[in-house]
Formats: sequence, C-alpha cells, structure tokens
Amino acid sequence: MFKKTLLCAAVTVVASAVSLSSAVAAEYPTKPIKMVVAFGAGGSTDTMARIFAKYAEKYIGKRIIVINKTGAGGELGWTFLSRAKPDGYTIGLINSPGVEIYPFTRAETIQYNLEDIRPLVNVVTDPGVLAVSADSPYKTLNDFVAHIKANPGKVTVSHEGVGGDDHLAALTFGKKANVDMNFVAFNGNAEATAALLGGHIDAFEGNMSEAAAQIKSGAVRALAVWAPERVSAIPDVQTGREQGMDIISAASRGIAVPAGVPDDIYQKLMETAKKVVSDEGFRAELAKLNMPVNPMYGKDYEQFMQTTHDTLKSIWDVEPWIVK
Amino acid sequence: MDYLLNAIATVFTFEALLVLFLGTLAGMIIGMLPGLSSTMGVALCIPITFNMPPELSLILLGAVYVSSVYGGSVTAILLRTPGTDASIATSLDGFPLTSSGRGAEALGIATIGSLFGGLFSTLALLAIAPLLSKVALAFGPQEYTLLALGGLITVIGVVSDIPVKGLIAAIAGLMLATIGLDNFTGAQRFLFDRPELIDGMPLLPVLIGLFSVSQAFNLCVPVAGRVLDENTKLRFSGHFPYFHDIKRCLRTMNRSSVIGTIVGILPGAGTSIAAFISYNEARRKSKNPENFGKGELEGVAASEAANNAVTGGTLIPTLTLGIPGNAVTAVFVGGLTIHGLIPGPQLFTDFADITYTLIMSLFLANILFAVLGLILSRHLVHVTRIPGALLGPMILIFSIIGTYALRNEMFDVWLAALFGVIGYFMERWRFPTAPLVIAMVLGPILEVNFRRSMQISDWDLTVFFTRPISLALVCMIVAAIAYPVWRHLKHKRALNQVNPVN
Repeated sequence: MFKKTLLCAAVTVVASAVSLSSAVAAEYPTKPIKMVVAFGAGGSTDTMARIFAKYAEKYIGKRIIVINKTGAGGELGWTFLSRAKPDGYTIGLINSPGVEIYPFTRAETIQYNLEDIRPLVNVVTDPGVLAVSADSPYKTLNDFVAHIKANPGKVTVSHEGVGGDDHLAALTFGKKANVDMNFVAFNGNAEATAALLGGHIDAFEGNMSEAAAQIKSGAVRALAVWAPERVSAIPDVQTGREQGMDIISAASRGIAVPAGVPDDIYQKLMETAKKVVSDEGFRAELAKLNMPVNPMYGKDYEQFMQTTHDTLKSIWDVEPWIVK
Repeated sequence: MDYLLNAIATVFTFEALLVLFLGTLAGMIIGMLPGLSSTMGVALCIPITFNMPPELSLILLGAVYVSSVYGGSVTAILLRTPGTDASIATSLDGFPLTSSGRGAEALGIATIGSLFGGLFSTLALLAIAPLLSKVALAFGPQEYTLLALGGLITVIGVVSDIPVKGLIAAIAGLMLATIGLDNFTGAQRFLFDRPELIDGMPLLPVLIGLFSVSQAFNLCVPVAGRVLDENTKLRFSGHFPYFHDIKRCLRTMNRSSVIGTIVGILPGAGTSIAAFISYNEARRKSKNPENFGKGELEGVAASEAANNAVTGGTLIPTLTLGIPGNAVTAVFVGGLTIHGLIPGPQLFTDFADITYTLIMSLFLANILFAVLGLILSRHLVHVTRIPGALLGPMILIFSIIGTYALRNEMFDVWLAALFGVIGYFMERWRFPTAPLVIAMVLGPILEVNFRRSMQISDWDLTVFFTRPISLALVCMIVAAIAYPVWRHLKHKRALNQVNPVN
C-alpha cells in the first residue's frame, strides 16, 4: 500500500514537472522576476536598474524585484547571476569593463566564467572625462599635456581604483600623449571630487554621469570626454578625438541573464528590453541623470563585450596594470 | 525667506507629517536592531520613494536617517549591543548605567543629547552650509591621515584602565584593516581565496560579532560571576535624568555638537571619530574623569550629541557641493538624483523649495524622535528584565538576520559568529573590543591618506608640518599623548611626597 502511494506520488510529481516545463515558456512569467544588482542601493548602477525595472514591469506584466548583491567591485553579484537557475526568473545588471576583465586580472580567485553570463541588452554607456578645477590655468587638453611634459611625474591625477575604467583611461591617456603622470587612487567619486575642488590634486579622471553636475555648475572644467562624439549632457566639452587624442573609454551598464535560459524566454525578455529602451519616459529619466543611453542588443552586445575583453586582455598580457 | 515659509507650509500637511512620523518610527526601529545600519535603512527606503513626489521622498529619507542614528543608542545603552560603530562610545557609559539600574536615565540623557546634536547641526545646515562646506575642501590627504591617527590614539586612551591591552586590540584591528584589494596597486592582500574579502574585512559582521553575538553568549552561557543572574540582573528604574544632570551636560553637548558637525562635514571621516573625540573631550574637561566608563551620564550625552550632530554635518557637503559626507548620504544622493535633483549649489537656488523642505523636516524629525524616545524609554527599559536565556537567543537571531541582510552573504554570518566567540574571550580576558572596531574603521582612512600624501608630495614628510590645519592637528596629537603622561608623572610625584617610603 505504502509503495503504491509512493509510486503514485512519484508519477504525479514527474507528470506535473513535465507539464510545468512545457507551460513555462508559453506563460512566462508567472511569478515575480529577481533582478540582481552587483552594487549598492542608491548608486548609479542601482538607480539605472530600478528605473529599468519600473518600465519593464509595465511591459512584462509581473513585478521585478531588485536585489543588491554587493561586494568585490561587482564580482559577488555576477557570480550569483552566473550560478542562478536559468529559468528567466533571475536576471541581472552587468558593468563593463569590470565583468570582462576580472576573469583574467583575478584569475586565481575568480568564481564565475564569462561564458556563464549571457548578455541581453546594453543600456547606458557612460564615457570617461578628464577634468581640472575651475581655477586651474589649463583650458584645453593640449595645455594640460604641455604642463605634464614640463613636469614629468609631478602632475597628480585621480582615479577610482586600479583596473577600473577610469584608471585604464588615465593609463591610455598617458601612453598616447607620451607623458608621465602621478596617479592617485581614491575610493569613489565623492572623495576624488572633494580633493580636486580643494586643490589637493591637479586633475580628475572619472565618469561623465558622476562629474556632469560639477561640470555644469562650473566648479570643474572638463578638458576632454573620451567618447567617439560629443555627449548631449555636456555639449561644450570637446572629445579627445577632436583634440587629436583618440581615446575611447567608458563604463557600460546593461542587462544579462544566466547562460542556458531557454530561447523563447530570452526572446520574451529581449522584446521587453527593446520596449523599455525605446520608451520616451525611460529615456527622459536617464537623461535627467546624465546617463547616455546606448542600446546594443543580443549579438551586438556580445560582440562588444568580446572586443572589450580582447582589447584589454592584450594590453594586460603585455603590460599588466596590477603588479603581482 | 519665502523658501522657508513655503517649506514650512509643505511640511505641515497631513501627508508630509504622516511620512515624517512613519519614517521616524521606522528609523528608530532600524537603528535599534543589531545589523540594520542607517545606510541600510535609507537604502531600503529608496525603492519606496520611487513613486513619491520628491518633497515626500526627502522627508522620508531624512527622517529615517536621523532617527536611525538615535535608535542605535537604545540597544547600545540597554544591552551593550551597538548597531553601528557610531554608538560604540555610547555603550561605554550607557551599559554600566543600565547595569546599575539607571537605564532610563541613560536613555533620557541620550535622547536629549541626540536632540541637541541633531538640532544644532540642522541649524548649521540651514544657516551657514555654504560657508562650512569650505571645511570639507580644506581637508586634504595630510589632514585625514592625522585625523585618523588622532582618532585612534583617542580610542586607545578612552579605554585606558589597561592601555597595553587597548593597544593590542587596536593593532589587531589595524591588521584586519589591511585585508582586501589595495586600490593603489590592485594587489589582493590576505584574501585566503575568499572573494567575499576583496572589499576588505566587512566591518559590520565584525562589529555585530564582537558586541551583539558575544553579548548574546554572555547572557546565555552561565559562567561563575559573569552571567546576569538574580543578583546582578539589570534593574529597572523609572526616572528620567534630573534637571541638574541635564544642565550639567549642556556644555558637553554643546562641544560635542560642534565636533560632530565638523567631523560630519569631512567626507569619509566616520561618525565614530566624532563620538570618541567628543567622549574624550568630555572626560578631559570633567571634574571627575574617573567616573567615565563606569556610568557617567555626561559620557552618554557626549557620544550621542556628537553622532547625531554628524547627520546634519554630512548633509552640508552633500547638498552644497554634491559630495556625500558618508555612506548614508551617498545613498541619499541616489534618492535625490532619481527625482532629477542633482546635488550641488543649484539645490539652494533652482530647487530651493524642496531643499528647504528637507531641512525643515529634519528639525521636526529630530523633535519627533526625541518625543517618541522619551515616551518609549519608560517601556523600553523593561527589555532588560527579560531573562538572559531568552534575551540572548533573541539578540542572536537579530544578529544573524541583520548580518545576512547586509549583502545576502552567508560568509558574513559565519564571520559574525567567529567574532562573537573572539569577543566573548576578549571580554573574559579583559581586552577592550572598541579599539579593535574603531581601528578597522580608521585603518583604511589612515593608510590610504598617508599613501596619498606621500605619493602627492613624493615622500616629503614635512608636508604634515607646512600646512596650517595639518600642523594644528599634529600639535593636538602631541598634546593628547603628552598630557596623560605628564599627569601620570605628576600624580606619581604627589604620591611620593605623601608617602616617601614608596
């Protein structure tokens, strides 16, 4: 009797599991979706994620719950994302170039593979800026380069941690301009901005969206934005390219899913993402935050990440920026 | 002036007052629970503010912020389980007061101190914010180095009945602070293959372990003479501080509010520095410094006035320069930007209505938490009557939940458990835990700013003496070290004269 009941139960479980899996794709989503953000609440990645979630809920018809899984410059959150069940109920934010570079700069300790994360859509590309304080005598990038050349190794430039996009931009700048600067690490934009405004450092390398308010208010002067063309949030700032310094550097933020998500679910998420990114309200909210929208979908986004990975890996292999 | 009147009109609407009340109450509860920090409280509110008008959002965030800092004092005093490093100094005298049955008085003076500090710094924010924001910029890496060094020496001095043990604990804290990714070189230091440690040894699990978990063990594990049994049980006392006690503490609260506001203005300096410096100053200026650490109301007042003064202070550079003063205000900035309010000078011009509404609501939130606190403290004291065998596990559960919630990481829970055991034995062997935690807070500030100053000056140590603020700080540190030594020698000589045989 007991055996029979057990068998019955087993059959029921298997049967319901089978019917469930076929229903999954057609009716997805049937429950709230988790969105993993690898940075803290209130930060720029988190803010973008929450705005995205707000609009995505409208199109996908289910709640999207933002979960902040912070630590190790994003690594813990991405590890969580890469290991989540690929059923479409866990999606997450990824940040370039961090997500691409950790697998080789932290090869000994890294816990995720880039192949386990499947990119969906890139939303924001936030270019780097090089800025000096408003009372600095340097008005253009070339003025500043001349000043550094005259004082090799003396000019102090902030960045927000070795291996971050602004450090890499500063390194590239040094190499292209063939100058020797004194890089000083700061913990985040706030400390670096305070040091720049207080005259404790000569220049600041950071992301446009975080520096835009200070640039607009006139407290700091941006010498160059490292973008292919001028950025609408700070239209008066010349690109590096315009001033003969062809440097492109940015922090990008997009949405990804764990690899192995069924194709029809991936497509459904893709449709939603496209609707969100082309939504006027969504774009207006990001514009208020000085975050330039730069949509790249599916294969294009994958290609972009691959290129980022390959470019930085080739630099790393020749000249690693972290001395072990 | 128009802005102010408009702001007052906005604050005194039903909706705004409701949000203010709920925010204050939520903040107090968040502050009281071990592991739930102000940063987390404000961060938890960010999603709620998404669909609220900007004025109400800011009222909510402001209320949660100021009242959670106050809420931390309650558990620090009653159970010796400070929720954040901000209220460690409060527990130094708060808990001995509770143990001697004067818990309600301690809560009362903490409430009045918090109110004083909160109102003082909000007034500074309202009246002279742009002027004070220059202080934030005047502090460079040299000054931060010395501030951290001074803070560290102060903390070791505060637990000075056994200075060597304090020093050892501080050194252990400094060593823990070296764990993690080095931002200057990218080197991974002492990670033991744990990616959870890349950002450094997380502070709150250590703090919760050393204070809350170890206290839970104390309450649960009966060891002869250490458990709070029938004889040494926390007694209940109903009376508030006497008026003359409050009057006696006024000077201290005034001084602590100034210290708290100034430290708050400095981005990244940390609330605990303000609390400990104020505590130390209160002791130094006191007629009976020997009472400090054994249950001195003035010690509680000093720490609480200072840590609540930090709240207004941190908002000064946040609102005027767009440079958040600490982790909580960094989250605040997120809350502002969601509504298209980019922190910076234009907050006081283009968005003045909203900004002044926030400032006005801070005044109200401070008054509200004080009123709620004074009403509740009568009842809250009863917590100490709960038997240890019940209270201990309760603290333990909150500690586990709080630690896990920090970043959804089981690793942190194990860490808290480990430091719970370490804290338990540190206490048994009479090693003070406060210097360890504060050294963990100050270690990174000391290290990165020293390296920054050396990097900027190309290893020229004279930079510490050639800048006015830096030189003043050097003198203060020298005095802080020399004074106790001098006093000790004088004391010894006096003893020798009285009793020449020795």
